[in-house]
Amino acid sequence: MGHKRTNAAIWTWTLFVLVAIYLPIVCGALASFNKSRYFGFPIKTYSTEWWQKTLDSIEIGMIVKTSISIALLVTVFSVVIATFGALAFARYEWKGRKLYQKLILLPIFFPQPVLGLAMLLGFNAVGIQTSWMTAVFAHMIWIVPVVTLVIAIQVYGFDPSLEEAAYDLGCSRTQVFREVTLPLLWPGIWSGMLFAFLLSWSNFPLSLYTTGADSTIPEWLYAKMVAGYTPMVPALGTMATLGAACLLLAGGLIGILLRRRAAA
Amino acid sequence: MLQTSPAAPQSAELPKPILQLVGIRKTFGAFTAVDTIDLDVREGEFLTIVGPSGSGKTTLLRMLAGMDTPSEGNITLHGQLINDVPPNKRPTCLVFQSLALFPHKSVGENIAFPLKVKGVDAAARKARALELMRVVRLPENYFDKNVMKCSGGERQRVALARALAYDPEVLFFDEPLSAIDYKLKKTLEKELKDLHRETGKTFIYITHSLEEAMVMSDRIGVMRAGRIVQIGTPEEIYGAPVDRFVCEFVGEVNTLKVKRGPDGAWQGVDVPGSFTLAPPRDGKTLDEAFVVVRPEFMRILGPGESADNQLEGVVYNEYSLGSRIQYQVRVGAKVMLVELSRGRPLPASADRKVTLGWDAADAFTLES
Repeated sequence: MGHKRTNAAIWTWTLFVLVAIYLPIVCGALASFNKSRYFGFPIKTYSTEWWQKTLDSIEIGMIVKTSISIALLVTVFSVVIATFGALAFARYEWKGRKLYQKLILLPIFFPQPVLGLAMLLGFNAVGIQTSWMTAVFAHMIWIVPVVTLVIAIQVYGFDPSLEEAAYDLGCSRTQVFREVTLPLLWPGIWSGMLFAFLLSWSNFPLSLYTTGADSTIPEWLYAKMVAGYTPMVPALGTMATLGAACLLLAGGLIGILLRRRAAA
Repeated sequence: MLQTSPAAPQSAELPKPILQLVGIRKTFGAFTAVDTIDLDVREGEFLTIVGPSGSGKTTLLRMLAGMDTPSEGNITLHGQLINDVPPNKRPTCLVFQSLALFPHKSVGENIAFPLKVKGVDAAARKARALELMRVVRLPENYFDKNVMKCSGGERQRVALARALAYDPEVLFFDEPLSAIDYKLKKTLEKELKDLHRETGKTFIYITHSLEEAMVMSDRIGVMRAGRIVQIGTPEEIYGAPVDRFVCEFVGEVNTLKVKRGPDGAWQGVDVPGSFTLAPPRDGKTLDEAFVVVRPEFMRILGPGESADNQLEGVVYNEYSLGSRIQYQVRVGAKVMLVELSRGRPLPASADRKVTLGWDAADAFTLES
């Protein structure tokens, strides 16, 4: 009796949360199928016209390319830095480790628009022309700490005697890293990569100040909403969301496959 | 001080030392973990270092394996100084307390790991791994099994096979059997001893359990507070402990404090009466001493029986130890332990009053 009621409460709550999260996304997607140029419900005529226009647009093609380039570079650099950073964070005892653990987290708590503006001023001061490449650097300031934390969780669950055992069994330092450390940290590194890509992909405040003449998807969406709205805005927004969702899904599937193979 | 057993001086038949420790100290800040240890490990012997937790035995082992460097002193292997030789360049291998099996590798991959590192080709690796699996009694079909799905005992065997695959001259063991249930532990102890004999390699084993040490070892070193207080064969450790610590470490014992009376005879301090005792070790003259009597040498005297020393007491508790029964006997304020074989009737009067007795030769007289 009580068990049934608990179950019902859990289902109701879950449903409520799901609706609250997905309703805006669905509305955005619906708006992109509106034949009329202006935003408004109910939708009178549905059309895929704006999706077609979005796909055909050379400008949007460039923006997507910029966003992907930034996100990929941020992913690669962040994961390399964060992997070693996480080992320093969670594995090794060294002087100054406590201070490092706190300092590395600080950028996460700094408001991103302020961080972006500060970086713009910094780039100007040293005479660097801002472009999508400076944005890679700006994103990393915020994303490396997040990825470090994600990978550090994996490092905490790692028995250091495994590395010692490999070293004792004849491995060089490089072999220890390749044969033991890296494979065991891999699940954490994998999550870190997904986080890095998605956080960079959807970042607006840092990009706004640091991409210079280049533009990313969130920047373009914002600019078009401020002036010159067409349903291409929700269309691109929906595509970006779907792209991210596919990446996440693929990432999850690979993770499951890896675990299955390991368990075999 | 390091005590060398009487038989130790280099006689011709004794194998030469493979590992030599001279004045080894290890300090962490103000804390001295290992305090001036001199030790010769003979080639092919099974040496167990036993001591309570915090006695420095793991630190000692880590220095021998190359994972820590001594603060002072020298470690030599075949006469060559190896203080700063890293573990991957030493012909030694450590079996960790956690076993440190690679969770992302199968049983076969774990065992073949040292061979892979050496660059042995895959076919030869597999052949050798299967051979070692036979040696440690693991079924052949375990080769592809996930090592995390193996039972505790099977994991022990995998760890052992992996260490043997490295083909070390000396194998170190850091209490690998501590998490195993009693019955399996007994089996694995015997297997380890068999393996030691079959391989002829030098084994250095550390444990906090003297019982474990007794079963397997050729020699046992007892450690306390960073020092080796006694080293010798299991018989020597059991039969001639150097002090009260070693004595109590061997198992439950009866300890009585005694002092010399005005007439020179030993008088009990916490129980009344005078005692006839064996002379102390090394012919020392003492004014105060401890008498230590093992429960199995303490007797309950029947009518007409007598012993060098006798005490009157009351049996107030008994425990079954399997083949033996332990009686707790209250003598004044002191509780004495007596162990008798099962089936022997307790020669006690109706009110459980008994006479305890032991002979001077069955007890140790130790410095207090």
